[in-house]
Amino acid sequence: MGVLRGLLPRLTRRQMALIGIPLTLGGLATAGAVAVLIFLGASGGTIRPAPVQPIAYDHAVHAGDNAIPCEFCHRGVSTGAVATIPSVEQCMYCHAVVGQDLPGVLRLAAKWEAQEPIEWTRVHRLPDHVRFVHVTHIDANIPCETCHGDVETFAVMKQVNALNMGECMGCHRDTTNQPASSASPSGNAVLKSSASLDCAVCHR
Amino acid sequence: MSNPHETAALAATLEGNGALIGEDEGGSDGHRWGMVVDADLCTGCQACVVSCYAENNIAISEEDRITGGRAKTWIRIERYWEGEFPHAKARFVPVLCQHCDNAGCETVCPVWATYHNDEGLNVQVYNRCVGTRFCANGCVYSARYFNFWDAEWPTPLDYQLNPDVTVRTKGIIEKCTFCVQRIQRAKTEANRDNRELADGDVQPACVQSCPTSALVFGDLHDAESQVAQAVHSERGFRLLENSGFEPAVTYLAKIDPHAKEATTAHE
Repeated sequence: MGVLRGLLPRLTRRQMALIGIPLTLGGLATAGAVAVLIFLGASGGTIRPAPVQPIAYDHAVHAGDNAIPCEFCHRGVSTGAVATIPSVEQCMYCHAVVGQDLPGVLRLAAKWEAQEPIEWTRVHRLPDHVRFVHVTHIDANIPCETCHGDVETFAVMKQVNALNMGECMGCHRDTTNQPASSASPSGNAVLKSSASLDCAVCHR
Repeated sequence: MSNPHETAALAATLEGNGALIGEDEGGSDGHRWGMVVDADLCTGCQACVVSCYAENNIAISEEDRITGGRAKTWIRIERYWEGEFPHAKARFVPVLCQHCDNAGCETVCPVWATYHNDEGLNVQVYNRCVGTRFCANGCVYSARYFNFWDAEWPTPLDYQLNPDVTVRTKGIIEKCTFCVQRIQRAKTEANRDNRELADGDVQPACVQSCPTSALVFGDLHDAESQVAQAVHSERGFRLLENSGFEPAVTYLAKIDPHAKEATTAHE
């Protein structure tokens, strides 16, 4: 400080204020702008780390090695808004006779014996003001991978896409005004109908 | 007014204003949702109000909020007394968002949180709303409600929340949506069955629960629909028509042959 005082011109209190206040305000404004940008970048678009589940369920074994279709367990996906997590009973359809010695299946069987549900931790969550409906997208032949990634390779279920409004709009814009049954620009979906861009379709 | 272009434009504007509802919005192939309220059939039973609360996750208003004028009722029954005792008669007018074609609420929103969609719905986008309340002031029907408080849903009341409808937070405006979630659901179901929406596929909660069928909802673009037929009734009028808001809800006047003589006899 002593060195600085020697180098800098001596300033009166008034001069200090004249220089200092704009500098401080400018600094605060910059910090605020950065904070807003970080918030905008993060809000609604965070890919959260994969949660630890009560049972180490392995999608790679079920959907990958054994090639069980997604819909076999997530039965609500083709009838309603929510894809649904299978009940313990549904797991036991197979596990009453398959892999009874595996540690995960033992824990499952214990839950079944006790007639208790498994408290899975949710992986994909949309904000409360969005009403996503699975069945509409299944009807439009959108493959599950479009949003959920290559689940058949995931040993631990994780979120791969931000699932923010930009991602929704990207697809909805691509598929709006497309003639029915044409391939989407991504090339992997054959569409039955075009997507709507009306706010009320999701926000209601 | 010597410019022929201006004259033509003015003529077109006047013609547009004179057009019947449903004929100027969204093209001819889209839907145009509308409602007819038959005041002659309404008994003021409030079933529509109750079902609307249940369907749309509307916060229950306690007495102090009602007396303070801050209650939320997307549809409400306005009661008027006509005449003096013993000739007094109760008149009921269910009032909901009129989904005006020329709405006063839409133009004043600074953040485009309320807009008119292709199907004639006046849509409120909750996550865009910043709570200026300009729209509520612009609405002559007082059909828009501000959330002064966060709604409380003590368990087990939260179990009955409708998962298809957003639970609104403090600081935003909400209002009747013509049960847009039911419209979406009906469309999804029709799409699954590879058919067009039929008349009666979409029923808002209020219409479904009305015991006297005083409320009729449907597509005004479908000439065969019940609502499109009822709209042309000679009893038809619209609330505060001179506001120029062009509401999508048509009311049918009360049939009361004794009303006039009772009033005149009293006078």
